[in-house]
Amino acid sequence: MSAQPAPVTPTGYPWPIETARLDNGLRVVVSEDHTAPVVCVNLWYDVGSRHEPPGQTGFAHLFEHLMFEGSAHVAKTEHMRLVQGSGGSLNATTNPDRTNYFETLPVEHLELGLWLEADRMGGLVPALTQETLDNQREVVKNERRQRYDNVPYGDAWLRLLPLLYPPGHPYHHATIGSMEDLNAAELDTFKAFHQQYYAPNNAVLTVAGDVTPADVFALAEKYFGALESVSDIPPAPRGHITGAATEPVRETVTGKVPAPRVYLSHRTHPFGTAGYDAVTVLATVLGSGRGSRLYQRLADGARIAQPDYIGAYGVDLAHAPAPLIVTATAKDGVTAERLEAGVAEVLDSMATEPVTEAELERAKALLTTSWWRQMSTVGGRADTLSRYATQFGDATSAAYRLPQWQSVTAGDILDAARTLNPESRVTLTYLSDEGTDQ
Amino acid sequence: MSLVATRPGPGDPRPYTFPDIRRVSVGGGEVVATHMPGQHLATAALLLDAGGARESAGREGTATVLAKCLEEGTTTRDSAAFALALEGLGAELSTSVDWDSLRVGVSVPVGLLPRAVTLLAEAARTPRLDPADVARVRDDEVTALRMDWAQPGPRADAALRMDLFGAAERYGRPLHGDPASVAAVTVEDVTAFHESWLKRPGVLLVAGDLTRLDLAELGAAAFAGTTGEPLAPAGPLGVPIAAGRRVLLVDRPGSVQSTLRIGHRAPERANPDYVAMTLVATVLGGAFTSRLNHLIREVKGYTYGIRADFAMTRRFGRFGISTSVQTAVTTPALTDTIGEVTRTRLDGVTEEELEVARTWRAGQLTVDMQTPGSIAGALATLVVHGLPDDYYASLRRSLLDATVAQVSAAAAKHLHPEALTVVVEGDGAAIRDELAASGLGEVADAGI
Repeated sequence: MSAQPAPVTPTGYPWPIETARLDNGLRVVVSEDHTAPVVCVNLWYDVGSRHEPPGQTGFAHLFEHLMFEGSAHVAKTEHMRLVQGSGGSLNATTNPDRTNYFETLPVEHLELGLWLEADRMGGLVPALTQETLDNQREVVKNERRQRYDNVPYGDAWLRLLPLLYPPGHPYHHATIGSMEDLNAAELDTFKAFHQQYYAPNNAVLTVAGDVTPADVFALAEKYFGALESVSDIPPAPRGHITGAATEPVRETVTGKVPAPRVYLSHRTHPFGTAGYDAVTVLATVLGSGRGSRLYQRLADGARIAQPDYIGAYGVDLAHAPAPLIVTATAKDGVTAERLEAGVAEVLDSMATEPVTEAELERAKALLTTSWWRQMSTVGGRADTLSRYATQFGDATSAAYRLPQWQSVTAGDILDAARTLNPESRVTLTYLSDEGTDQ
Repeated sequence: MSLVATRPGPGDPRPYTFPDIRRVSVGGGEVVATHMPGQHLATAALLLDAGGARESAGREGTATVLAKCLEEGTTTRDSAAFALALEGLGAELSTSVDWDSLRVGVSVPVGLLPRAVTLLAEAARTPRLDPADVARVRDDEVTALRMDWAQPGPRADAALRMDLFGAAERYGRPLHGDPASVAAVTVEDVTAFHESWLKRPGVLLVAGDLTRLDLAELGAAAFAGTTGEPLAPAGPLGVPIAAGRRVLLVDRPGSVQSTLRIGHRAPERANPDYVAMTLVATVLGGAFTSRLNHLIREVKGYTYGIRADFAMTRRFGRFGISTSVQTAVTTPALTDTIGEVTRTRLDGVTEEELEVARTWRAGQLTVDMQTPGSIAGALATLVVHGLPDDYYASLRRSLLDATVAQVSAAAAKHLHPEALTVVVEGDGAAIRDELAASGLGEVADAGI
């Protein structure tokens, strides 16, 4: 292998970015690209499950569902009909940090997208009914059953968070929330939630695609300009945690799973920091692809882990030290103890065996491809710009992430690895309570 | 109110044009490519006539095991060296098997595509296939399938497929096999499958910035050392429709949801009603505002989602509905679902519904085809089904021109609510009696 370091790409965002701020505080980001007649309208609201007080877990996500059920000038179910009837694709997601809404449309329907988003930003409360809340509460409970409760290992994320973050910390509970809290959700709480957080000065609007900035700024003013800003938006509980955990935590679950599985997890650094960039590259060296250490040593080498179910990844959360998760599932006849010891040995090797130039180049090449894949659609670009504007106050800073990954050194990874010691580790183990055959 | 009350109309349409298709014959194979100027990534995929339909009875899953074995080293380098060479470019091999084809693809920054295609071809044409590695990959695949089959869904899918096509027919068995059939796959099955089907040239699909790519060079790398002519496709299977509706129960004790798979046979992809059938399925269960999603999710709150579609391959089609509902509402959800199929067959679709369906499907052609990967997928459809180069332009027109009468006629012709096979995977102790009393159809155990 050549000893020359891989070249650093000068920018990860070679498209134009223009920004403006309306008088009501709405930040507008425009990225022009005329290669196809499509446009993405993307909104980030700076509210997520980290804002939920005790007893209201799952409310930010349930609220996201309510945003599709009509607003002042949009009848119930009409939102979806209008977007799909224009040939568009739409969705929304909620995570601990934020809630995002987005639709990609043939560009002649740009104004429709902006009008729909403005109507539900400024006019949701008058349309919100008890019937809608009751119905969407059932849909969300079914979502919880389908994604978390009815699938083997489906509750791993729900179990890891409270082990990683102490009670009262904004990341202590999972975004989907508890059935008890969802059952107790009252209409007035949601009306207040909208009035507090769904304000123009708590949002970023990004439009990417076959448009010009001047047109978009004028349309943003037309549809959003008269919405009133909200003062005193309550902040989320503080996410500050000093350093890594100081003693190991473990939980063992025995249930209907087809094979033993382990999750080893650490709190690392917030997304967006140099420390987290090192963790991102470390996770790729450790657990992404067939050339990764975990695959080479446990799925291939020792052959104690199933090749399709081994990996390591960071969860990109920005408001507190974000988790690194390392997971593997046992092959037939391999015990959870042996699997865990193997995974721990590979994880610990990151601190004792410096990464080679070939490992580092492989990881950076994979990250480079994944970055350009995210950038290959107007939807991926718009969401990225909204993220950087919301979380770091500057959409153009999105351009730095790829060069920063590419600049991570073996020494940076070693520094990051030394904080991943067993004394600060969360270990979640699933054991099977059934035989191997059905 | 500070909001704009009037919904804006659309601006001047800027119709999407599918990029021009370039074809290059080289080394006994064909390169089919599209130009995507300015794209940083490029995709190449080798499309081979080596789908699941070519597998032997009782050895279903052979093609999938082979596809995984392609990464276990080649005649010139071992698996670790191959992984480092490929991933060092930022590429990962994506392999897929469907009924009509086996595909091996890579996506990388465009300047690296020639090197990635060379490695792709090395894996596809000259895999090492060491017997010990093949046996291990096969065993790992059995374990992976058992993991998958522990989730709700795969057993219900298998029960529906077997009932519609029969256990004796390849199409009556799961596309990727089941744990037993994959366990039965031998090293010889895998090497013979490679020898028979992966040494023919096939077609190389390329999507990316062609000003930076030499298609003849890519084709020469992809087709080196291959022989053989394209294979003539077999004819369609026909559309037998059952005499009555039946309910098959797949027991999953303690399940908090019932997983529903409902369907009947349908015509193959080449049938002339393809566009109208697509629109029928969109109105019934394709769009978020579809009849089924509106009633079962939005009005009743029984589910997180429900969808209906016609799946169509070269030789067969099937109509299908899939959803998961909470256990307590299994029977009412089924009754409502079948009711909507019946209503759609009898009354057809409305202009208002069809307007959403046709503009959505036409618009999706614009919205979906932004990436090299999605364009390469569209090229694969052209090649597998022998469609003309102007297909996507004419598809757009056909979708937009479809009338209520045409789509309603397709609903009447291709929906058969009285002939549905209804598979319910759920907690048998909680739902069996209620299903039997429902009158939806004779209830039997699926035996899976």
